[in-house]
Amino acid sequence: MTSQGPAEAALLSVRDLVHHFPTNAGVVQAVSGVSFDVHPGETLGIVGETGSGKSTLARCVLQAPRPASGSVTFRGTDLTTLHGTALLKARRHLQMMFQDPFGSLDPKWTVRTLVEEPLIAYRTGDRAARRQRVAEVLELVGLDPAVHGRRRPRELSGGQAQRVAIARAVALSPALLICDEPVSSLDVLIQAQVLNLFEQLRAELGLSYLFIAHDLALVKQVSDRVAVMYLGKLCEVGPGEMVYRKPLHPYTRALLDSVPGTAPAAGRATTTISGEPPSPVHPPSGCRFRTRCPRARELCAAEEPPMRELATGHSVACHFPLEGAAAEAGAGPAARTTARSEERIGETPR
Amino acid sequence: MAASLPDLLATADTARARPPRDRARAGWVLELRLWVPAGFLIVLALACFAWPHIYPVPSPVRGNVLDAGLPPLSPGHIFGTDPVGNDVFSRILYGGQVSFEVGFAVTVIGLAVGGGLGMAAGYWGGAADAIISRVLDVLIAFPALVLALAIAEGLGPSEVHVIWALCVFSIPATGRIARSATLELREQTFMLAARLSGTRGWRVIVRHVIPNIVPQLMTFSLLGFGVIIILEGALSYLGLGIPLPEASWGSMIAQGQQSLTATPDLVLIPSAFLFATVVSLNLVSDALRERWAI
Amino acid sequence: MTGALLDVEDLKVTFAGRGRPVRAVDGVSYSVHPAQTLAVVGESGSGKTVSCRAVMGLLPQTAVTTGSARFAGTQLIGLTDEQLRRHRGADIAMVFQDPTRSLNPTMRVGGQIAEAVRAHRPVSRPQAREQAVDLLRLVRIPLPERRFDEYPHQLSGGMRQRVMIAIALACRPRLLIADEATTALDVTTQAQIMELLLELQAELGMALMLISHDLALAASYADDVIVMYAGRVVEQAPASRLFSRVRMPYTQALLEAIPRLERPAHAPLPVIGGRPPDLSALPAGCPFAPRCRHAADDCRATEPPLAEHEPGHSWACWHPVGGPAGRLAPGNASGGAA
Repeated sequence: MTSQGPAEAALLSVRDLVHHFPTNAGVVQAVSGVSFDVHPGETLGIVGETGSGKSTLARCVLQAPRPASGSVTFRGTDLTTLHGTALLKARRHLQMMFQDPFGSLDPKWTVRTLVEEPLIAYRTGDRAARRQRVAEVLELVGLDPAVHGRRRPRELSGGQAQRVAIARAVALSPALLICDEPVSSLDVLIQAQVLNLFEQLRAELGLSYLFIAHDLALVKQVSDRVAVMYLGKLCEVGPGEMVYRKPLHPYTRALLDSVPGTAPAAGRATTTISGEPPSPVHPPSGCRFRTRCPRARELCAAEEPPMRELATGHSVACHFPLEGAAAEAGAGPAARTTARSEERIGETPR
Repeated sequence: MAASLPDLLATADTARARPPRDRARAGWVLELRLWVPAGFLIVLALACFAWPHIYPVPSPVRGNVLDAGLPPLSPGHIFGTDPVGNDVFSRILYGGQVSFEVGFAVTVIGLAVGGGLGMAAGYWGGAADAIISRVLDVLIAFPALVLALAIAEGLGPSEVHVIWALCVFSIPATGRIARSATLELREQTFMLAARLSGTRGWRVIVRHVIPNIVPQLMTFSLLGFGVIIILEGALSYLGLGIPLPEASWGSMIAQGQQSLTATPDLVLIPSAFLFATVVSLNLVSDALRERWAI
Repeated sequence: MTGALLDVEDLKVTFAGRGRPVRAVDGVSYSVHPAQTLAVVGESGSGKTVSCRAVMGLLPQTAVTTGSARFAGTQLIGLTDEQLRRHRGADIAMVFQDPTRSLNPTMRVGGQIAEAVRAHRPVSRPQAREQAVDLLRLVRIPLPERRFDEYPHQLSGGMRQRVMIAIALACRPRLLIADEATTALDVTTQAQIMELLLELQAELGMALMLISHDLALAASYADDVIVMYAGRVVEQAPASRLFSRVRMPYTQALLEAIPRLERPAHAPLPVIGGRPPDLSALPAGCPFAPRCRHAADDCRATEPPLAEHEPGHSWACWHPVGGPAGRLAPGNASGGAA
């Protein structure tokens, strides 16, 4: 049912997570039965476009809001059964980062107090110990405690604010960090700096990540395994390289085709996707992607495809997946760019 | 990224890169708009409360009938005297005390009780919100002056009763503002981030909600201060506020009205002070609102 | 330059900020030819949006614009709003980033398109309606007669952007400026909108200016690309030349920093430190020098001019990547994983 990672017990295990919420237009089926695992030390990337439900998924994992149904087992405990202090304790090692670097920081607080907040909340050590930890963590993310500690968020740049958010998230030495579009609002060069910081922390602190974004290249860059989400359901889960080179789901294929490559005319997507995204209030019957899929047939409308493992660690939920050779031969422009890797664009050996 | 003013696009990053010192210097022009009316208010308040102790003035209530009806700029009576012989300048000062005391008390009670209730309603929602909002709605539904009149009439004229009567107006008004500000704040990402950091309910309210709604509440309360002063003046004018012979700007206007054509300054002088005080409060509120970009 | 549809020369835009003036655009020159696609690429603060808005006269009062921007011979800088209005829509049209904010939420979409039509042509209401429906069809919106009566909130992001394009095309402009038009859209929708723009360009013989921070987008869809930094043009070349033979270290840094599907996971991205420069306090010399790994003393002393060192390829750098013009360093053409 779900992709298999290494044989150790999963750090985070989500099963059949469902969540919906009412709006003026009707009840939005945001997440409709999502299951996955994150193993210690790995980064699972979730890529999805607007309306895929990925942000709702992230918040439901943290129980803010509580999912309508399903289980979220973190370090052996099901978070959905916990309340109050017990939930707080269990959530200590599970932290989150948000898209808007300034939105996630209280504009009235100083950087120092912002980073100290989780330490105070969980009552770790006395004041001196906390101050020490704050300085440590600020340096870890590349900020100078003496210079930046006293500043307020409005006196920081986007990249710096995001670093403060990271510092706050790692202050308690979490095991898993959920990142919801953490670099989407940053410029490319700053984005690269922050991504490198993520990698550095991964190596130094042994962090695991659940990395959520809409940019497929970005997700693949930082993740070990990639899950593709569409309209509240997972389409495909597998190792990053395999999802990229041998995509099994037509939606993954369409995403890959739409990504502009830096080779001239490479990204002229031969749009293997048509039409508009359907409404999440009334998702299509059967396979939710069928209204835009070039391979859809009657079975797709009648029956919802189950998630099946077609290759080691690589699962897909599709009645007619792009299989093996067919997937490679039909490979779009992005894959063709790989084939021309001798003419690597714009890169010089360092 | 907004598609609006391109100068925001151009300077967004650079503005943040500038050191804090620059921001203070940049706000200098704004400061004039803030400090002129604020300065006036401070000077006036100091005068009303401190002058009589430093520099003796004639009593506001025990004037000599023989001195009645003196015009302004008479020796010993800068603003003249009223028909009973009380020194107008002294009555202005003591009347000002009343205005500031009533305004301050009602505003503070409004902030504490109304602000507290509104925040609770906004933050917790659900049943608490439903109950508190309905109570506040009922109070707001009454026209402020009518309600104040009824209460003052029922309790009898005195400064303390005026304060109670006007609190019935300031509590729901401030409560409404506090509730909507808190509701807006609740949706912000940093509130979720604070809860995820482990901060518990009370602490979230005290450390996150209050500091962020204070600007809105402050500017609203300053406007409210002015309204309270006018309402107190109205009550006193109608004889239901500060009882005569105690001085109050409102009752001074009422008294002076009887001899409006003969001695207009008995109406004009307290009216001028009332006007200047309320306008200054409004100007300070505006300047603060701009400064804090509410 | 003869034959150019839009000819911008030495454009400068300064904002009287609080304190020191901000030089948002600092001497920019480029030209757009009929039926050409020009991409203007830069990060936030590079001045790319401000320069285009200066051409259209859409800057606030605090902006001081100097220089020249000729559209088919007519000088646009210095015209009054009334005079510019005749050009806007009829000759040059603009599509903005966020269709949700650019469309009036209380008006039906068809009405908004019809309004644009009637702004420049004296047609009756029924005629305007007919033209609006035609425009909806032109931007490939299915069932245009039905969509005409819908409100913006009933449409998806991609559809709203198509409506914006329809409004922009109402009077068949000769130049369409797309200011981050696809940035707020999903990647699949972005691909569809870009395809649409190219098809329309071919059909209508329009020139297209793409303003974006996305280099990959520029590479895939533009004929020529200019790269802006700190309000100046630092590199200009046809798309194919720019990416195979990048010269300006800044452009190279941008290219290297983009996550790419071909890169293996967890590979560290080559980054440059620092932040975009303060536009009110630009250092002497090259504005990129503080962050450039090839920077030398002459870079910090004198600002390199933008010059055409190779046919069709200009750059502003004393020590470009790949050595002096005409020679490529041996490592440049070979690949290898990052």
